[in-house]
Amino acid sequence: MTTVHTLCGLKVVSDLPMPDLLPWTGDDRAPDVAIRLGEVPDRLDAPVIDGPLLQVGADGTCRFAVSGVAAYLVEGGHTVTVRTEMDAAAPDVRVFLLGTVFGILCAQRGLLPLHASCVAIGGRAVAFSGVSGAGKSTLAAAFHRQGYPVLADDVTVVDVEAPGGPLVLPSFPRIKLWGDVMNAFALPRKGLERSRAELDKYHVPLDGRFQAEPLPLAAIYRLEEARLPSQEGAERLNPATAVQSLEVDIYRCRTMRRLLSPARLFHLLTQIAAAAPSYRLWRRMGLGDLDAQVAALAARQGSDAGGRA
Amino acid sequence: MSGYYWLASYPKSGNTWMRLALWALRHGKPVDFAEFAGWATVSGLRAVFDEVLGVESSDLNAAEIETLRPRVFETLSSEAPEPMLRKVHEPWILTPAGEPLFPPAVTLGAVYIVRDPRDVAVALSHHQGASLDRAIAFMSSPPHERGSVWRQMDYHWVSWHRHVESWLDAPGIRVLPVRYEDMVADMPAVLAEVAEFLGWDAEPEAVAAAVEATAFERLRIEEEKQGFGEKPLHMERFFRRGEAGGWRAVLSGEQAARIQHDHGAVMLRLGYL
Repeated sequence: MTTVHTLCGLKVVSDLPMPDLLPWTGDDRAPDVAIRLGEVPDRLDAPVIDGPLLQVGADGTCRFAVSGVAAYLVEGGHTVTVRTEMDAAAPDVRVFLLGTVFGILCAQRGLLPLHASCVAIGGRAVAFSGVSGAGKSTLAAAFHRQGYPVLADDVTVVDVEAPGGPLVLPSFPRIKLWGDVMNAFALPRKGLERSRAELDKYHVPLDGRFQAEPLPLAAIYRLEEARLPSQEGAERLNPATAVQSLEVDIYRCRTMRRLLSPARLFHLLTQIAAAAPSYRLWRRMGLGDLDAQVAALAARQGSDAGGRA
Repeated sequence: MSGYYWLASYPKSGNTWMRLALWALRHGKPVDFAEFAGWATVSGLRAVFDEVLGVESSDLNAAEIETLRPRVFETLSSEAPEPMLRKVHEPWILTPAGEPLFPPAVTLGAVYIVRDPRDVAVALSHHQGASLDRAIAFMSSPPHERGSVWRQMDYHWVSWHRHVESWLDAPGIRVLPVRYEDMVADMPAVLAEVAEFLGWDAEPEAVAAAVEATAFERLRIEEEKQGFGEKPLHMERFFRRGEAGGWRAVLSGEQAARIQHDHGAVMLRLGYL
């Protein structure tokens, strides 16, 4: 059965069930992206990147596979072919489809995926980047809990050259949270699917407070761990440092450098740095401090109550 | 094409001290903790794994991660212009696929630092904020679930003696055993030996300066001035005592006997009994 959804404003048809995505409500134009079940070659011919999980062909075609789950062939920014090694409806298949494969698809379309979560404050998009485990999803969930709409969880897609400046394109209304975070937020697990069968990590729907329309990018905060109280706070980066920092923030940077070319990437990052300030946000890890961090960040962005949904 | 030198040890055995001394030797100047941060870092950083493989390690289960980690080391070795030094607190183990987690083909050598487990127990109890009895129990029968460290991949814990044996008897790699007690007694000699093992040119004057720069009191003063980023939050200070044999004043006879009972054979092998 084919379903029709929206992802970053694109019309997506899929052979796979995609409960994470919103249904398409736009016109009856031809689909922008097709997700098909089918055969995926065991490897690409003459790849320019030949990694253990990911291969990139000279034309930008990518093959990504997780053993025991699925192999994905991503072509031209419009077609994803999936060969599953488990039940095609299992969440495991979608975890990688809406992660690495999604990022590749965006880059093939000339969009810039950042490794960041993103929330709406005062009608503008504020992104939180950082390494795996830095707390991007947790912070986004903390904003959501206080009434702020969320645009993206792990991958924030930026249309850098949109008229009027860099625009964040909303992805889908769910967030991945670890069990300990759900406990801290008193979120029930009942009825939620685990993102992987063996992991204590859940797909939590963003009920009602998903920002479905694109918003201009207002700021990027790179999350860092403050080990000492004296380190805590936000530090604005100058434009040159911001470009370097943003390069690290690109989702799957090694792959994207090939798909977008270094010169093109530098151009895009320079545009972002010119349009939106970048900060390093030194913060305490742990779940105790989050509400105060949300309040402080909302105040920083200069529109506390006005930012709520 | 290059490869790795592993700076391996059970936790709280002098690994950080050795890394600081090597940093000072490499850079020829007093230690600056801010500059030191991230140097010869842990081998199991999630961010590195994620970037090299193009996947989120937090979307993979423990067996999948462990199975893939040798590929990460191979990929980075093929790209590195010069040997890489990495801290390891994990044991030398086989992955679920039956191959070494730390592939011999990209291993240039391992410096294995070992410390009297009775002193380790005392240091570990401070580090974990746990009682001595809990630390002693942890060293004998570590929990089955892996310890999660947010920036690092989950640890695969084994007992203290299994840890020591896994590295000292690792097949197919060069291992230089270093005793913490020898570092305390004669750091210049030990540092010179380690530098030679790593293939570094190190004049005796440079070694002496590096040892001087990382003398315990110096590190302690530096920590008071700017804090040390690798300190657990609950600990008052990371550089606590830096001595050998302190356990005699801390452990009860029964506690010391328990450690000896659990790890006696390996303690004997290393001259601790």
